[in-house]
Amino acid sequence: MDVHSASQRFLGLTARRWRTGAVPGPLAQMLLVAVGYYAAARVGFAFTLQPNPISTLWPPNALLLAVLLLAPARAWWWLLAAALPAHLLIELQSGVPTAMVLGWYASNCSEALIGAALVRAFAPGPLRLDSLRKAGLFLLCAVLAAPLLSSFFDAALVRLIGWGESEYWDLVQRRFASNVLAELTVGPLILTWATFSSARLRAATPARYAEAALIFGGLFAVCLVAFDLPQIDARAAPALFYAPLPFLLWAAVRLGTPGAASAIALLTVATIGGAVSGLGPFTDRTAEDTAREMQLFLIAASVPMLLLAVALEERSRAEREAHEQRLQLTHLARVAMLGELSGGIAHELNQPLTAILSNAQAAQHFIANKTGSPQVLSEILQDIVLADLRAGEIIRRLHTLFKRGETQFRPLDMNTVVGEVLDIARGDLATRSVDVRRHLGESIPAVSGDRVELQQVLLNLVVNASEAMSAGTAPGRRVLTVCTGTEAGMVKVSVIDSGPGFPAEQHERMFEAFYTTKAQGLGLGLSISRAIVRVHNGHLWGEANPGGGASFHVTLPAA
Amino acid sequence: MSSAQVSVIDDDAAVLRSVGRLLQAAGYAVQTFSSSQDFLTHPGGGAPGCIVMDLSMPGMGGLDLQQALAKKADRRPVVFISGQGSIATSVAAMKAGAIDFLTKPFDASRLLGAVSAAIERDLSSRGAQRERAAVEGRLASLTPREREVLEMVAAGKLNKQIAAALGTAEKTVKVHRARMMRKMQVDSLAGLIRTWTSIQPPSASSA
Repeated sequence: MDVHSASQRFLGLTARRWRTGAVPGPLAQMLLVAVGYYAAARVGFAFTLQPNPISTLWPPNALLLAVLLLAPARAWWWLLAAALPAHLLIELQSGVPTAMVLGWYASNCSEALIGAALVRAFAPGPLRLDSLRKAGLFLLCAVLAAPLLSSFFDAALVRLIGWGESEYWDLVQRRFASNVLAELTVGPLILTWATFSSARLRAATPARYAEAALIFGGLFAVCLVAFDLPQIDARAAPALFYAPLPFLLWAAVRLGTPGAASAIALLTVATIGGAVSGLGPFTDRTAEDTAREMQLFLIAASVPMLLLAVALEERSRAEREAHEQRLQLTHLARVAMLGELSGGIAHELNQPLTAILSNAQAAQHFIANKTGSPQVLSEILQDIVLADLRAGEIIRRLHTLFKRGETQFRPLDMNTVVGEVLDIARGDLATRSVDVRRHLGESIPAVSGDRVELQQVLLNLVVNASEAMSAGTAPGRRVLTVCTGTEAGMVKVSVIDSGPGFPAEQHERMFEAFYTTKAQGLGLGLSISRAIVRVHNGHLWGEANPGGGASFHVTLPAA
Repeated sequence: MSSAQVSVIDDDAAVLRSVGRLLQAAGYAVQTFSSSQDFLTHPGGGAPGCIVMDLSMPGMGGLDLQQALAKKADRRPVVFISGQGSIATSVAAMKAGAIDFLTKPFDASRLLGAVSAAIERDLSSRGAQRERAAVEGRLASLTPREREVLEMVAAGKLNKQIAAALGTAEKTVKVHRARMMRKMQVDSLAGLIRTWTSIQPPSASSA
């Protein structure tokens, strides 16, 4: 029960992003660890260059370390225990004394524990390689410190039990190099894919899949040629090392950390696989030298690629967050503005409701008095239908303004947008006794923009003008003029009021966030409007009219 | 009552048409106007009736139109209909003499009730107006001396006191008084006092 609930919490932490609902239970997880460990050990044996007794790449320890990094500390003991049967199964086949087999299990577990504890001390919670800080921490603790410290322990055990004839320092050095490479290859692969959101896979376009296929196909082909063919000219070898780099870079830049980790794994498998089969550029020396050369080459190639991918992902996440924040703020300001407009909107909705009610009750009277001709009654019904449609249209428009959506660029006719905005503001303008005049230019080119966001900009200008006039202008002199036209290849919309205008020192200040002269304003309207217009590659500015009042102009490039 | 004339003013065409129809269905003669300016150019007002108007309209709003009508001495009662009535505006409207202030959408019975009350008030105020005009006509037919006598009688003076004040014989005062009573079409002192006070303006200005 305890194990079960611990595992549930562990899965809640680590597998929140798997979202598939098919979360493996604790036994299934232990089985996964055991199977993974067994497979990883098989790979390790396959990557051993005979007669060199130590594998070029020993992945089981890296697998254990990655699993611990994803799990809460209280689950560590049973996850490590799960690896023991697999360890015994594979090692006892190779004729190694039982003491040595158990010793290696201890040193393998020590590597995983040292690395996981060090990383966890500085980065609590399941590790995600999503920032340079965490990637650096992973490299220092899991890739460098854990293999180093555990190798002292491991070599000491080997010497103590008396297995083989290698020197102590030689053992330390070779085991260290092998495990560094394994941590570098297997760790990021498991960490990035375990925390990868399946939503991102589903959201990927076919073009994206094609690009990924091209990258991995290309990398595979290049690796085949560079590392898995019989070597022809030894002097060409250094040049061959650079052949996979473009594909590694490509993967790091375009496919994120899971892509980069997968590409690094593919390169490692191809390089060591080739050398083990006696192919590729590393074959003209002793097994020990070959292993060292390959390890150095792969470590040197992997570290920068991994860091590059993490740095790019960190930046793109920051950009996404900034974008998301802008959307949120824009929506917030829009909702706040609609709140200010609520009186006018209620007025606008009450008009068709009044028409419907009065028409229906007039019809009741006509019918009760037997004075209504069928023609009058049919006119009444027609008016009721129209008023109902009008109310529905107001609600539909409000709904799109209240909704939070992604910015979508579409060809837009600004005259239509102006009409929609004046419709929404009509109630507000009427209750403030503002006279609206439209001077809409003919044959204005379309602009490319987000309908709701541009409505928000113009609505903000109209509401500001309306409020300014109702606060500082006599009712008969409140005139709002909206003009559209073209100017120097840009579509220009001007909102001109006959209000009190603004003093010169506010000319730019009013576009600052949280600057407001209204009693109940957030002071966000104009600053957000300017940000929206900027995203549309346009300009928004205000000026005082020579004859009093203020004008605000929006220019947007013609689509 | 069907001769009563109701003028409806609203900038919203659909509302204007439907309210006009409702009043027509109730048997009123209805005129509709889409703006205050439109109404002011053809105000009508000869026949008894009332005005139903929107509070918030572009250009001249309802409260301003109410003031403009008061300045023109158009005394037709006003019923306001409003899509968004704040307490402040409804108080202002009622203080300026509106009959009722209905918030849109309103039930027909409320509008028809308000309109019928408004027309009743118009009829009674028109009756009082006529009565007052008649009394004022009679008053105008008095000679200056008869008028002096009237004022002193109304002030409660005896014939003897009036004669002393005017420096004439008490008999002459009696003749003036009798002629004055006849011209004012009253046959008792009480009747005279009632008629006299009915035309005294509340703010007894002497202009």
